[in-house]
Amino acid sequence: MNNFEPKLVCFSCRFSWGYLADEAQLAAQIKNWVPIICSGKIDAAHIVDAFKNGADGVLILGCPEGDCHYQDGNFEARKRVYLLRKLLSSYGIETERVRIVLSSDPEGKEILNHVRDMTETLRRMGPVKKIKPVSRALAAAKAKR
Amino acid sequence: MWRTVTTGGAHVEEAIKQLLPPCQIKCPINEDIQRTNVLISLLPRDIESAKNGIIQIGDYLYEKNPFFNICGYICGLCELECNYKTKGGAIRRRLLKRFLSDYYTDYLNQKEELNIVKDKENVAIVGGGPGGLMCAYYLAKKGYKPTIFESSSRLGGALWLIPDYRLPDDVLSTTIDNLVRIAGIDVKFNSEVGKGKLTFERLRMQGYKAIFLAKGTPYPRILTFDGKPVEGQDLSGVLYGHTLLYEISHGNIESDYFKYRKVIVIGGGNVAFDVARSVRRLGGEVTVVCLECEDKSSRDGIPADEDEIRGAWEEGIQIVYSRGVQKIIGEAGRFKKIVSPKCTCVFDEQGFNPKFDLSDTIELDGDVLIITIGQGPDRVVLQNEMLLDERGRLAVDPHTLQSLKFRDVFIGGDVRRIGFMIEAMKEGMEAAESIHRYLRGLNMTEGRRRDFEKFDIPLRSRYKPPTEVVWIPPEQRMHFQLFERGLTLDEAIEEAKRCATCGPCVSCKACISIGFEKSLYSVQVDEDRCSGCGICVYSCNYGSAHLVEREGKIISATDMFRCKSCGMCVAACPSDARKMVEDLTYERIDKVYAALQ
Repeated sequence: MNNFEPKLVCFSCRFSWGYLADEAQLAAQIKNWVPIICSGKIDAAHIVDAFKNGADGVLILGCPEGDCHYQDGNFEARKRVYLLRKLLSSYGIETERVRIVLSSDPEGKEILNHVRDMTETLRRMGPVKKIKPVSRALAAAKAKR
Repeated sequence: MWRTVTTGGAHVEEAIKQLLPPCQIKCPINEDIQRTNVLISLLPRDIESAKNGIIQIGDYLYEKNPFFNICGYICGLCELECNYKTKGGAIRRRLLKRFLSDYYTDYLNQKEELNIVKDKENVAIVGGGPGGLMCAYYLAKKGYKPTIFESSSRLGGALWLIPDYRLPDDVLSTTIDNLVRIAGIDVKFNSEVGKGKLTFERLRMQGYKAIFLAKGTPYPRILTFDGKPVEGQDLSGVLYGHTLLYEISHGNIESDYFKYRKVIVIGGGNVAFDVARSVRRLGGEVTVVCLECEDKSSRDGIPADEDEIRGAWEEGIQIVYSRGVQKIIGEAGRFKKIVSPKCTCVFDEQGFNPKFDLSDTIELDGDVLIITIGQGPDRVVLQNEMLLDERGRLAVDPHTLQSLKFRDVFIGGDVRRIGFMIEAMKEGMEAAESIHRYLRGLNMTEGRRRDFEKFDIPLRSRYKPPTEVVWIPPEQRMHFQLFERGLTLDEAIEEAKRCATCGPCVSCKACISIGFEKSLYSVQVDEDRCSGCGICVYSCNYGSAHLVEREGKIISATDMFRCKSCGMCVAACPSDARKMVEDLTYERIDKVYAALQ
């Protein structure tokens, strides 16, 4: 497990994160990074797709509460993450694998710290354990019996 | 480095379908308020790095409004219509501009001159106030050679009458001096057109192909009662507010001029309050007497701004509402008192027509009486140049500002209709456009009148209170220095962030200018997939997503003029019927995902 390198997809809202930094420079430092105009634009399907494509975690960096340029996009994103976590965990993807942070860092230095921090968490957790939903349902039924 | 772009795709387009945010509609020159608010909100947090951005934002505003920094001290009309007013308080746009001014005004001294070849006609501008200067600026930008004929020895006109505690002299002079330099405006001082030999005819002979008359209103209005002038206005101790402000601005009044003197100021407008508060600062004990009542919302309400009234009240100025002046009584040639009847009604259907109850009359004693009830134009010039109609009114087209008597004469600013500084500037702008059309033989009216429809405030779960305005306490502000503290960088960023950005994307484009987006993209609805469930309507904060009936089926649609392309409806749609067209974000996501495998 020691040489396991987690794959983390990071979305960050442009209006609060890294807009004063040079984007190309940041992109060179942050793997799998998607700057996005609003965290509310991130579809549940995008998050699911990330896992489908082999990601071990998804990090969403949105604007601080009350600061969304598009009014409430950050709240929408957070709500979506909370709902999605329930669904994902029923497929064996732990809730910790989707993280949302509502804060601000125009210089973009914190983005790296958040990515590093979450990567560490994922490293400890190991890769996504793919559980077939059917066997999970059977296991649950067995447990009941 | 903080960099904004104003050309190409980032260039603001004229509002389509005439939808604009209400602040921008209220602003007579439709300043790009939303765009610059957004850009201010994205400034770096340390002032050294922010300065460069402030200058870029300032340069952008300057293109349309070379007086924007002055507006930052004295205007704020836009705030009256701000949608946020109903949610705790208007965005403090005036202070945001003053914040820019704090850094931009000095920079004006090194701002480069317009790079324009002036190969078009000579145009004479009569009067060097905000209207005349604005006209000259816009003409210069179009390649004309404007010459301002100013009757006094300084430009700026009535702007100089604004007391220093509201608009500092150095801000005003720096702005005007640099405007003249930047736009390359030729100025002839002490040149009173319309009197003596300098007539319009002479200007024409000298080769001026058009004339813009913006002489303002240099004469104070005299006090009348029952249609007749009130006697005693020639007594010693009776003066006009205008004259006093003029003398103060020239530094001719000593700082304790009114010490131990009881001063009565007549008038309820902002100028009367400028006078009252100036006199208070010069040591006087002041009472303001006005016809209008306290209730600003009523037809007969006092016209002065709330801030002026509050400021005056804080400074110990007494205000006597709903009273007029029937008689001015003197003693040995000096002013002694006024006889002041109750005013029962100021305006009727015909307009200004005050009625009094003479059975309810008081006398007010004083040492000085200052009459500040408005001002009027120099009618001699208007008569000499035959610009009046048979009923003695200015014969001028209110939209093109072209004289109805002479095709090459244009009239605007206070001389036509008294208003705010920005309204005079707007007329200067319009006159420049008219002069251009006239001299190029273009249609004078085509595409000029625009009626705008305003946006409502977007929905959001929390609205923030405005930044507090800090005034120096009254006992410490009895001088002519600014009494209002400007915003700090942090405050300005926070205040600008409050802006709910009600307006349409095409007339903002801040996101493109700062490089967040490449273009404005649009939402498309796949009508076959759409089930008409309405989740998108719920998710849209701008009233853009809505349901329509088409061929008996309910489906969702997008109002392109209200859409901000935020993508919230696309993310919310459960049947994948909504799509963002030409949006590169999704490509980027696909690319990242492809790299995962």
